[in-house]
Amino acid sequence: MKVGSILDQTGPINIYGLPMIDATTFALEDLNEQGGVLGRRLELQFFDAQSTNEKYTEFATQLALDDEVVVIMGGITSASREAIRPIIDQHRKLYFYNEQYEGGVCDKFTFCTGVVPSQQLRTLIPWAIQNIGPKFYTAAADYNYGQISAAWVRKILEEEGGELVGQEFIPLEVAEFGPTIDKVQRARPDVFMSLLVGGNHIAFYRQFAAAGLKDEIKIVSPTFGLGNEHIVLDPSEGQGIIVVYPYFQELDNPTNREFVDRWHQRFGEDYPYITDSANVVWTGWHLWAMAVEKAGTFETDAVIRALESGLEFEAPEGNVRLDPPTHHLWHNAHIAQVNDRHGFEIIQSFENIPPEFEQEVCNLIENPDTFTQYTPEL
Amino acid sequence: MTRLPRSAPVPLAATGLALASLAFLVEDVWLVKFSSWLIFGTLALSLAFIWGRGGIFSFGQNAFFGIGAYLYGIAAINLVHSTGETVTAFLIGGLGGALMALILGYFMFYGRLGDVYVAIITLAVTLVLFTVMAGTAGPQYRVGEARLGGYNGMTGIPPIVVGIPFQGDGIRLTPQTMYLFVVVMAVTLFAAVSRLSQQPFGRVVIAVRENELRTELLGYDIRRYKLLAFTFGGAIAGLAGSAFAAWGLFVNPAVFGLRQAALVVIWLLVGGQASLIGPFLGAALVEWISSTLAGGVGGDETPIILGITLVLVVLLLPHGLAGLLRLMWERLTRSTRRAPRVPEGKPGETSPASQKIPSAILTQLLQNARTDAATLEVRGLAKSFGGVQALDDVTLSFPARGIRCLIGPNGAGKSTFFNLLIGRFPPSRGRIYLEGRDITRLHPHRRAQQGIGIKLQVPSLYPGLSVRENVWLASFAVSRNVPDANRRTEEMLGGTGLAHRADELAANLSHGEQQWLEITMVLAAAPRVILLDEPSAGMTREETLRTADIVRGLGEVASVIVVEHDMEFVRHLGAPITMFHQGRIFVEGTLEELRRDQRVLDVYLGRERARRVAVE
Amino acid sequence: MEPDLVVRQAVTVLSTVAVLVIVSVGLAVIFGVMRIINLAHGEFLMLGAYSVLVISRAGAPLWAGLMVAPVAVGLIGLAVERLVIRFLYGRLIATMLATWGLSLVLVQLVVMIFGPATQGVPTPLGSLRVGGYRISEYSLALIGFAIGLLVATYSLFTRTRYGLLARAASQNPLMAQALGVNTGRTNAATFALGAALAGLAGAMLAPVVGVVPSMGQAFIARAFMTVIVGGPAVLTGMGSAAALLGGAESLVSQASTAFLGQAALLLLAVILLRIMPQGLSGSWGRRL
Repeated sequence: MKVGSILDQTGPINIYGLPMIDATTFALEDLNEQGGVLGRRLELQFFDAQSTNEKYTEFATQLALDDEVVVIMGGITSASREAIRPIIDQHRKLYFYNEQYEGGVCDKFTFCTGVVPSQQLRTLIPWAIQNIGPKFYTAAADYNYGQISAAWVRKILEEEGGELVGQEFIPLEVAEFGPTIDKVQRARPDVFMSLLVGGNHIAFYRQFAAAGLKDEIKIVSPTFGLGNEHIVLDPSEGQGIIVVYPYFQELDNPTNREFVDRWHQRFGEDYPYITDSANVVWTGWHLWAMAVEKAGTFETDAVIRALESGLEFEAPEGNVRLDPPTHHLWHNAHIAQVNDRHGFEIIQSFENIPPEFEQEVCNLIENPDTFTQYTPEL
Repeated sequence: MTRLPRSAPVPLAATGLALASLAFLVEDVWLVKFSSWLIFGTLALSLAFIWGRGGIFSFGQNAFFGIGAYLYGIAAINLVHSTGETVTAFLIGGLGGALMALILGYFMFYGRLGDVYVAIITLAVTLVLFTVMAGTAGPQYRVGEARLGGYNGMTGIPPIVVGIPFQGDGIRLTPQTMYLFVVVMAVTLFAAVSRLSQQPFGRVVIAVRENELRTELLGYDIRRYKLLAFTFGGAIAGLAGSAFAAWGLFVNPAVFGLRQAALVVIWLLVGGQASLIGPFLGAALVEWISSTLAGGVGGDETPIILGITLVLVVLLLPHGLAGLLRLMWERLTRSTRRAPRVPEGKPGETSPASQKIPSAILTQLLQNARTDAATLEVRGLAKSFGGVQALDDVTLSFPARGIRCLIGPNGAGKSTFFNLLIGRFPPSRGRIYLEGRDITRLHPHRRAQQGIGIKLQVPSLYPGLSVRENVWLASFAVSRNVPDANRRTEEMLGGTGLAHRADELAANLSHGEQQWLEITMVLAAAPRVILLDEPSAGMTREETLRTADIVRGLGEVASVIVVEHDMEFVRHLGAPITMFHQGRIFVEGTLEELRRDQRVLDVYLGRERARRVAVE
Repeated sequence: MEPDLVVRQAVTVLSTVAVLVIVSVGLAVIFGVMRIINLAHGEFLMLGAYSVLVISRAGAPLWAGLMVAPVAVGLIGLAVERLVIRFLYGRLIATMLATWGLSLVLVQLVVMIFGPATQGVPTPLGSLRVGGYRISEYSLALIGFAIGLLVATYSLFTRTRYGLLARAASQNPLMAQALGVNTGRTNAATFALGAALAGLAGAMLAPVVGVVPSMGQAFIARAFMTVIVGGPAVLTGMGSAAALLGGAESLVSQASTAFLGQAALLLLAVILLRIMPQGLSGSWGRRL
């Protein structure tokens, strides 16, 4: 049985793409070892989109036109997902997008298994107000994810009694943070909320530490670590930064212990770090396999019905639930702190957090002909 | 008649049909790929036109492509429900590309920016567009129903829907019909570009690439030609952008990125920028390699293979794939039909002197085109560069017919004087009148149209064009009428003895022939005032004397001003002389009067003496 | 405004300018002296940063990396010139395509050797307290580096025999050849020098940015703007352009947002080129 995947194996986005490709291989090997799905071996049709959007269009079309391909997973950046969606909607294929993103996608054929900002920030911000202080300064990557997340920060701060003393958007190609650090020092917040993303923005953490501010102002972030920032930065620069994710390699539950062991057997003990993306890709493939088994067929509409019947899966992050009307997951959120060995220490865990914004705007059971992405007007 | 390479409508139609027939032979998967290659090829075609033909290197050609794509998206999303089709939106994309190019081109060409700066400005513009479009994430950035979508891009773009506006829903194109649509677009635009290249407009655009200065001095407004060519290129790129958005049903700011900017150039260079087929070959090859490797064949090595291919193409195929194909074709056909080679002319062989063309013929040729004459007058003309006073308070008048010689040591101001007359730069002070009309502030091409022609000291021709095309461009500059220009071209070629060399490239002529060709061109443009900068340079004594005869003949019908160092030549002209020294008129008179003037000798000898002292 | 804030902001502006000078100087040498558009400049920079990474992983201090990086990248540049570039002199656009191809290869080779993930070396030195603000000592060091680079390169071109030959070979290759200058060797040396300067720039920036295979892309566009706006005076023009563009970017970012700061840089570059099509130094009558 053919299944398709498009990810960035080469080009600048492969920093996220390569771990997700590993997770894809790992998940499919696991499913095949268990005898495949409905007794059929899964055969992966993989395409490297080379960090280019028109390649996503091209390969999505190629997979969508191939009648034997029963599911397509892939896309990393939101732009790549948006390149894939119109194609799979046109050809009525089943599509899984397995990555943390800005939220709001509401599409009959699309399932978004990654965590969305409201799920992370609903836990992180009240925790930070309580444990650090109420004055926040937000620096966000200047694109959809950063802007939407920053809006969530504003909204939640207001509801929880915090105060926003400064907010700034940084273009993705900026690696010079002198002006930002000036402004932060002038605003004197308790908490620095980092919504920074990508290779260039890593520079912020070291320039912040070099300016000697790390011990005066605490950094919290729902994005730090996705690009292995905790591995890259010296403990003198990274230690103590607070993050929130559904998944950490250090999570102490039986499913994860086994997951990490097998991952290390497969890819080597020196694998840098198993990120949330790997957890989500793994979860995506297994949820799909469960739905196919439940439907008893690979046929798209039947599998979607099975997915919408409400599935639960014991993922490495803990138990996750598929929310039928939104095609998103109820996630867990763990607050953790960077330790002195390039890893994390879990501080506190929260379970079963619903995708609140998506539930507000999206109901694919009642309105199955929806193929859009909503943006919160916060 | 002028013989220029004609595009072959038959092979083009056959290629188009062959491409179209693929729609029924190949699987949809491939048609989708082919569509994208043709779209990219069309984008590269727009650069082939403005760069390969027009010599304008736009490093940001993708800006117009991106504008076209976004406009298609906005227009299609908003209009499809009311008009029931998106062909209008497709055309709006092209219009947007053209408009953007028009505005940007006006800024660049009327500001007379240099080549490298045009490249940088176009690149900067596309990067600015990238940043601007990436910053439109919020819900407030919408045009009608279309949300711009910021960095993530605009979604929900409808495919091409063919139909009659407001007459119900049209036909939504499938991969197969979309491919046919793209084939029609590419073939049509290809035909348009290749046809335009043979129209007078296209020929002048090529002339601008070959030699801007000469084109301007013949009386063409090069800014206007560049702007129109650039706008046309913008329209093609815009249409390609429309097709791209309709192909992917999606567009995001990456179309404005550095990578996309470089890719356009890469497609064109791989294919060969001199040909119009090249862009399509290049786009198809580069995209085929990267999409084949991406399916698992190349894996991690994809960029390495692509990168090495690019380096090898540059090193081994300087003219791209199209150049290679042409070379192979020539190898194949050489054994059967070997073109008789035109023997190389010896220096001076076809110069006026060796051909003994009576000056009366030339005089007649000049008179045929223009019967009126004009006086030229300058008053108090001065020019300084920085602190150097190159020309100072020169007042002179030239009769409507007759010859005037200008002499003087190097740096005396003769060249500056000529440059002010033709308008290469404005004077610091003073006025210039042609037949009583003030032309001081006119652009060079306007002065050429008013009848000022110049033969520059170093021959200024179109080396990459044939002799006939060179003369044609000069003839067309006056008449602006193709049959008239054709007639005058043949007349001039016959009259000046260049007819047997008419199909040779100007670059292949000997130095003497090139001098003569330039004089022919100046005369073809039928000037009322003829400026000759050292016409006898590099000639033998005999040639010099004959050239002087010819100039004398011209002096009977026009005002001729000659800058010359060769006193033998000056003596033979027998015309009044004005001597310049240190930017001023030093002395005027006949050659005999000047010879008797001790100051004149001092100027020349003083220089000589000073120079000798310096050397020692 | 309080004096401590003024100091802090002045340092910020100066260090932005310094970074611009550091990343542009190698490009200025290669483009300004040889008229080659080197699209692999960013990748040379990246290789310099990775050299420091390797050296510091081996336990050596940062200054050792600063010594090794230019040598290593200079040698790579030399090889590139001998194998590819020397066949392309006078073909401006062709060199662009070839160096673009080269940059694809270099990025992917680094991905295959070091992996795609961002890495880094910790920022050395500490921070200084000025009134109520803190200033990173390394950003002061960067300002020093930038000045040092300009002075050293300037002296190299004016005080040494190589510098004289390089300028001769670039301004009039035929004449230089006629005078017995081995222009091939001089060009190779100049290209290697440009590459070495890019490598050194990467090494200097490694401690303040993320070291990642695609890092070159972040710098290349603004480095080009700086060099072009600088005009024919390769070093002094570029330095002035960096001061203007970097100053504008930094001041605007401080006053408003980083996005407007970038827009200010591009806009200023376009306006300057419109007013002075030959670049800032177009009328200075100097070549360095």
